[in-house]
Formats: sequence, structure tokens, C-alpha cells
Amino acid sequence: MTLDRRQFLKSSLSGAAALACWVKVPTLARAKGTADLIRRTERPPNYESVRSTFTARITPVERFYLRNHFDLPVVDVPKWRLNVHGLLEKPLSLSLANLQRMPQATVEAVLQCAGNGRALFTPHVPGVQWRYGAMGNAEWTGVRFKDVLALGGVKQEAAFVQLQGAERPTMSTTPPFIRAIPMAKALHPDTLLALKMNGKPLAPARGQPVRLVVPGWVGDDWVRALVDIEVRADEPKAFYYDAAYRFPVTPGAPGAPIPADQMKPMTKLNVKSLLGSLSDGDRLTPGVHQLAGVAFSGEAGIERVELSFDGGRTWTPAKLDAPATAYGFRVFRHAWKAEPGSHEIACRATDSAGATQPETPVWNPAGYLYNAIERLRVEVRA
Amino acid sequence: MIRALFATGILLGAAWVVASAAAADDKSTAALLAGQLPDDPARPLVQGKCLLCHSAEYVTSQRLTEGQWQKTVEKMRKFGSPATDEEAKAMTAYFARYWTPDLPPPRVVRAAPPKGSVPGK
Repeated sequence: MTLDRRQFLKSSLSGAAALACWVKVPTLARAKGTADLIRRTERPPNYESVRSTFTARITPVERFYLRNHFDLPVVDVPKWRLNVHGLLEKPLSLSLANLQRMPQATVEAVLQCAGNGRALFTPHVPGVQWRYGAMGNAEWTGVRFKDVLALGGVKQEAAFVQLQGAERPTMSTTPPFIRAIPMAKALHPDTLLALKMNGKPLAPARGQPVRLVVPGWVGDDWVRALVDIEVRADEPKAFYYDAAYRFPVTPGAPGAPIPADQMKPMTKLNVKSLLGSLSDGDRLTPGVHQLAGVAFSGEAGIERVELSFDGGRTWTPAKLDAPATAYGFRVFRHAWKAEPGSHEIACRATDSAGATQPETPVWNPAGYLYNAIERLRVEVRA
Repeated sequence: MIRALFATGILLGAAWVVASAAAADDKSTAALLAGQLPDDPARPLVQGKCLLCHSAEYVTSQRLTEGQWQKTVEKMRKFGSPATDEEAKAMTAYFARYWTPDLPPPRVVRAAPPKGSVPGK
């Protein structure tokens, strides 16, 4: 049986019911057992964290989001080699043991999918419909990328580093996932070829055996299961660099097309905060509630987080947990004395460079970098 | 009197038709929000031309205009979806009929970490 949904939405009583339903965002209930993720797509695996994850500084691996363009690669670790070539004095072919023997460093950094919050844009845009949880903060341990590049000897004309992992599309006609970062970021001492996440070797879906960690930058650069690094003078002509993962230089009107020459590769994450302990539509009892959430911003670190309980008319500073890190989550807390009634709660982060969250997001055709101030409606009743 | 009863009968009948249609529509909306692909001549096409590379949520979670669906189908053909012009047209019409911008968000599916996402002990 087929029904013309749109016709009914417009003409029947159920239309009003369905539209009313649209206003109500699905509530994320408390975690049951280990079901701490929300499945967005089964194949390839795209899962986001549940909201309650975002009350702690470090995101456990089992609650950390997963984003894939293609099926997971199967990597034979003993045979795996990382080939580093291009504008080098000497090309390299490195085993995991080679990398394990080099000096190791640990950096705490947020990994966030460029499309986190995509489902919240109006008008809607195509892509995995992430809401809040395509982000997480982990301790990454591995070799400094600059140390590996130094082994090969970077030539003077080198300006970009092209990156490719072991994953391949199902169809040979689908573009492979190839990215690039500028040499300056590759040589930054915090940019790692990570072997561990939260102290443990990378699981297959986390990039086993080695993934790039580009602290403060958008997740599309954090290539997993790295197999090929090419040092180049120019930027690659590859779909996922040349056409996808681009953001408008100057924002346009929501829904309006943006010329290709006005789209540039994303680099730093923008400032963002999320109240993890509450969801839209929650009902609370009167009294004091301990609210908690996380905030982060590219390379700048968080300066302050403010909360509003009156629809944004007045703002109260939240308490920030130590330590302050450049790239990680900063947990914020506030003991809220909830009086009976309906309340609109908002949180707003400002980074150490003075950037703050906007009232409305910068709409863009692929739905990247959503960071508008979120407003939650909660009911307080005895 | 007879005329009044007749009119009432027609009104009740019309109300029943509207209510049934509304109930059926609620059911079809619920099925869409649960991620189902409604029966349609285009459904086997989706299974054959799209689900080679990805699961159906790539369709059922989207809320797009006809123009956006058309662009998406064309992008997928460039990526290798073996759909002919006619098949692409049929799929675009199918997508644009059901997964519209005014459809509510999909039902939330809670899940444990999938295979390979957590390090072994």
C-alpha cells in the first residue's frame, strides 16, 4: 500500500499532529546497559554518542562516536607498512614496531566530525544526520608527525602532506578518501601519528594500527589506518579534499548555493558547548540540580561558559573544572535551583581568543561546523 | 427530516473516511520514522542500486526537497550506482515523495558499540 504522505499532512487532521510532533525533538533516554551509542547508519558504521556522555572530560572508547565513509578496512598489522614518499630526501616504509621504538608523546584533543549537528540546520542538508554526539575527547599517544617527516628529510618546496588510510570504497568508481593538511600543521609538535587512544592500542574502527591526530582541527583530517603519506608542493585533486569538506569563506543566505571558489577546506573547530546532563523536554522536580556539560574550541581553549535560564536575557557564569587544555573538553558545572515552571536553558562558551557561539548557525550546503547556542525547554514540577 | 438524516449520514461517512485516512497516515509516518522503505515499484531499485554500498538509513534519515534528492541521486550515480536515467528518475520521485523536509526526525535507535570499535582485552 502506498499513501501520499504529503497530501495527508496538508489536508487531514493528522497533519497537525505530525507537525506538532516535528517541534518535539526525540528525547535521549538514560543509557541501558552498554547501548550508549545512537546508530545513524549501520553500513558503513556511523554511530553517535548519547547526550549524557558529555558530562565528563575524557570520553570512554565504548561511548565514542564512529564515522565511516566506507566499510572498515581489514588491516593485517604484522604486514602493515606506512609508506611516506614524495618531496623527501629518502622515502620511508615503516612498520608498527618502527613507530613504537620512536619517542612517544600524549596529547588530549577533541575529535569532532565536521557534520556534528548537521540535522539541526534549516533548511535540511544531505549527509549523515548527526545531532549532538559526533564528538569526543581522548588522550592520544603516538609519534610526533614531525619526527617521522624528519626521518625522511622534507625538501624545501614541500607545502602539503597528503594522507590516505587503508579503507577503500565498495565500487572502484567511488572516489577514495584522500585528505591533506598544510606542512605547518603537520610539523606542529602536537600533531601525532597515534598508536593509542585513552592508553590502549587503537581498535580496528579507531584506526588500527596508526591514525593521524590533528589537535584542534576538524575530524576529516584525522585519517585512520594510515598507509600512504605523500609530501607535496601543491594541494591534491581528490574529491574529499577538492570538493567535499569545504566551508564558505563568506556565509550566504540559508539554502542559497555558494560558488565553488568561495569554498575552502575547513581547518580549526569552532567554539561549542553542550549541556550533557539535560535534554530538551526533560521534567525535573523543584530543588537544586547539578548541571554539567562540556565546551571546547579548536586550538584556543575555553575561557568561560555561561548559562541562561530565562531564554537568553541574563547569563550566569558556570564553574569550569581544571585542567584547562588547548584542545580538550572543558567540563562546566552549575548548581541550578529549579523553581516550578517552564524554563528555557541555554549555554554559551567563549574561547581564549574571544570567539563565542552565535545565536544562529552559519548555514552551509553540507551542514558543517554547527555551533549555535542551544536552547532547551525543561519543565519543573513537584 | 429524511434529508437531514441523509446529510448527517454523509457527514459521518466523510468523517470516517478522513479519520481512517488519518489513522493510515499516522501508521505510514510511523513506519517511515522507523526507517522502513514503503512498498513501491521503486523500492527494488533502491535495494539493487543503493544498498550495494550502504544501508537504507542513508535514505530514510534524510529530509530533503526534490531538487536535493535529484542532486544526491546524481552524485551517487557518479560514485558508481548502476542506475539508468529512468531508474534514477523513479528513485528520485520515490525519495521526494516520502522523505520530505517536513517529515519528523527518525526514531532514535540505541546501540552497543559495533564490532571492531573497542580494543580487545
